[in-house]
Amino acid sequence: MIDLQERFIERRSFIYRLFLIYFLFGTFLLLILYQIFQLQISNYSEYEIAALENKTHEMNIQPIRGLIYDRNGEVLVKNVPTFNLISIPNKVNDPNSFIDDIRNFIDITLEEEAIFYEKFKSKARYNRELVIKRNLNEQQIASFEVRKHNYPSLFVEKRYSRYTDYPSILSHALGYIGAPSEVELSQILSEALHPRQETIFSYGNGFISGKTGIEKTFDNELRGKFGEKVYEVDARGKLLKEISIKNPEEGMSIFTSLDLGSHIAANKALDGRMGAVVAIEIETGEIVTLFSSPSFSINDLSNGISRDKFNTLINSPQKPFFNRALKGRYPPASTIKPAIGIFGLENKLIDWNFSIEDPGFFTLPEDGRIYRGWKKGGHGKVNLNKAIVVSSNTYFFSLAYRSDINKLGDHFSQLGFGSKVCIDCFDEDPGLIPTPEWKRNKLNSGWSLGDTVNLGVGQGYMVATPIQLAYYSGMIANKGFINKLSLIQNQEQSLSHLIALDNFKELDWNKLHRAMTDVIDSPAGTSRRLQDLKSFKVAAKSGTAELVSLDSKEDYLLIRENEEQRDHAIMIAFGPMPSPKYAVSVVIENGESGGAVAGPVAIEVLKELIE
Amino acid sequence: MRLLKFKRFNFFYDPYLLISIIFLSLIGLIILYSASQESSAIIIKQSIFVFFGIILMIIVSQPDPAFYKNLSGLFLIFSVFLMLLTILLGTEVNGAKRWLDFGFFTLQPSELIKIALPIFLASYLYDKPLPINLKDTFFSILIISISFFLIVFQPDLGTSIVVLLAGFYVLFLAGLSWRFIGSSFAVFLLSTPFLWNNLLEPFQRQRIATLFNPEADPYGTAWNITQSKIAIGSGGISGKGYGSGSQSHLDFLPETTSDFIFAVIAEEFGFLGALALLSIYTFILFRCFYLSLNARDRFCRLTIGGLSLIFVTTIFVNLGMVVGILPVVGMPLPFISSGGTSLLSFYIAFGIIISMASHKKLIRQ
Repeated sequence: MIDLQERFIERRSFIYRLFLIYFLFGTFLLLILYQIFQLQISNYSEYEIAALENKTHEMNIQPIRGLIYDRNGEVLVKNVPTFNLISIPNKVNDPNSFIDDIRNFIDITLEEEAIFYEKFKSKARYNRELVIKRNLNEQQIASFEVRKHNYPSLFVEKRYSRYTDYPSILSHALGYIGAPSEVELSQILSEALHPRQETIFSYGNGFISGKTGIEKTFDNELRGKFGEKVYEVDARGKLLKEISIKNPEEGMSIFTSLDLGSHIAANKALDGRMGAVVAIEIETGEIVTLFSSPSFSINDLSNGISRDKFNTLINSPQKPFFNRALKGRYPPASTIKPAIGIFGLENKLIDWNFSIEDPGFFTLPEDGRIYRGWKKGGHGKVNLNKAIVVSSNTYFFSLAYRSDINKLGDHFSQLGFGSKVCIDCFDEDPGLIPTPEWKRNKLNSGWSLGDTVNLGVGQGYMVATPIQLAYYSGMIANKGFINKLSLIQNQEQSLSHLIALDNFKELDWNKLHRAMTDVIDSPAGTSRRLQDLKSFKVAAKSGTAELVSLDSKEDYLLIRENEEQRDHAIMIAFGPMPSPKYAVSVVIENGESGGAVAGPVAIEVLKELIE
Repeated sequence: MRLLKFKRFNFFYDPYLLISIIFLSLIGLIILYSASQESSAIIIKQSIFVFFGIILMIIVSQPDPAFYKNLSGLFLIFSVFLMLLTILLGTEVNGAKRWLDFGFFTLQPSELIKIALPIFLASYLYDKPLPINLKDTFFSILIISISFFLIVFQPDLGTSIVVLLAGFYVLFLAGLSWRFIGSSFAVFLLSTPFLWNNLLEPFQRQRIATLFNPEADPYGTAWNITQSKIAIGSGGISGKGYGSGSQSHLDFLPETTSDFIFAVIAEEFGFLGALALLSIYTFILFRCFYLSLNARDRFCRLTIGGLSLIFVTTIFVNLGMVVGILPVVGMPLPFISSGGTSLLSFYIAFGIIISMASHKKLIRQ
């Protein structure tokens, strides 16, 4: 036992020690209070946001893509609804009997069943939808609709497909849509409200973006703006209820300058041959026809195509995916002759009365090399007018021979060659104007006079695309003034382009128009056979682009056995004369005679546009 | 004098403790209803525990402290026996053997040791002269160590630390020599790296590491702390309202009915609610402080001091974990969290405190 004195000391020691512990706990209590104060008051907004982000899950809603119209208000590309049978797995008790039950009224394939079972659990856990069957037909929809009150976990939902009624006629002008690449997708989603989030799709094939043509060039306008749906979610990410919705903004519709009828006419006239037709409205520079043949179905490309079918297309020697109208590189051949004529007059190398004797060939004085015309024996005495009408090679050989190559190159450039002429076309090829500098860099050899001579008839190194030929044709038709070409109607800011000429006047333009009109209307004209095809006057110039350089007609008869080596038929034309409204260019690969083969196509398209 | 005289027997009670604990228990039930996402099963079970717990507390407060002094050794031996039984027959949950299954009730014997150990030490040390000599110190430490290691290998780090502290509180209050405290503290510091590597399970080490850098691993082990902080922080000053805590109701917060129930309170009732709860706890602690200072003898002093310090330790370990300043260890919030043995053990502890406070020493005439 301890005595009283000790008891007093013991009690005092106890009090001190207990007080010490309580003091430590008191300090700790202040620390906890400080921490709670920090969390709830100092950093409240930060944690409030964190809690909100925890419990909400945003989903982007895909907007409906804009429509594409032709110049007459005809719908070219639209969104066609397809219907899907969709389940809510969270509400389904027994997936096996559920599918068996559906089988009583809608056929479910084994593959669809397998996909359903595979995804069922995860979709149920997160309360997401699960598509059971796509593309229901009317009968299937009807048989579901009458039973739908029995199936609270099933519904039919609309999803769109991108669709055109003219799948192969407009394929190159309109282009197709497809799944975006990673880069495109991140760009698309960066414009959405919530990048990286799940998306509620309006299209059956998920994310879409324009891949070629107008669908690509105007992808941003057509796409529209993503909407959002906000759900409350639990910690596992299960959707509990919808909190708010912001509807997506539909994409803008694009009113193109394209004319559906002229495409149908061009398609009919080309009849599957390889080639291209481009027509423009001269006054505005609007492209009314942008046709390339052969073609493919953009509906297939946009909404799914079998691998076999795709491989057949991509491996076809006719290259249906190749847009010849914008990317085909052809020697302009004799269609360049009016440009050479303008150059000669502008630089006073010739006048309208200047004439030469055409023996059927031109001899280069320096080395005696012979450049042949298309007609054996020649055209006799030819001036500029006759040279254009009968397409005298000799005349233009000799005119080019006297031209300065650098000045000639600048002249071509003013006429639209060697650069892009369309402001909103997809992937246009700039073509090529050969210059001594270009030849030195590219071919590592010097420019020869023969190269200049060849340019006089549009042969040699120079290449032009059909759209450049149409632009050039429109510029001649409009007497040296034209807007940059565009696929959009009523563009307010058109880039206009006036050719700078000092010595070539209104009168000269009229004479040139008359000569080109006589290409068809004169009994001597190269395209006189087209006279009867039309009821209005058309100015034109045909061309036959040689793919193989030959010395005689006999040699050509030999090589034409091989279809791929046959000449390309080319035609530029505008009408109705004397005040032309439309200009057109036609190229038919391996079509041989420009006037006889490409000519009728040009006339058909002009007829469709004018009448 | 807290004594009601009836015709047949005397009723011993402390009005402050009785009322505040009953009040706290009722608040606990209300909060648990929201924290359990309105689960009536949990509430019914908890109500039964609370009801019998309060009755148990009142019963336990009736015997004279001498009763506990005499039986404390037996009580500790019985608890240790149950612990050994747990090691042999215990139910394994999440890799830990902590429970004895009695069918209608699962018992966690470590919760009993938490009470038995300080009472035993108080009864052992109450008549020892100051300062406690080495022999008694080592005997006490031996008893504490046996209790501690029985629990630490279950494994149950939280409870084992509380038991360890419970023993040392009594030993310290009884007058452990400062020289001994100083030298053993130095030994502890030197052996920390060894303890870290050998005593702690990998997941426990991870939890401690997490404490210092919770943002590094938001979906792994730090998930609980991060979500708890978000729950508390988003409660703001006045909270989101009863039953409207998104963190608890959408399952972001773990263990809402047990370890993290304070985060539910802070989320739904805000800073003011948290302050209110802490005030009640503080009131109880001050009452215990007062009672231990005025206890009738040294045994009662040590017992009230030891038991009340276990109470405050449990509260602070829980709060420290939930607010993110202590590592995550399983520790309930007394009288609020759901749970059987731990809840009952606190009712028993306060029953004993009340017994010691309300029985005055009979002075021989």
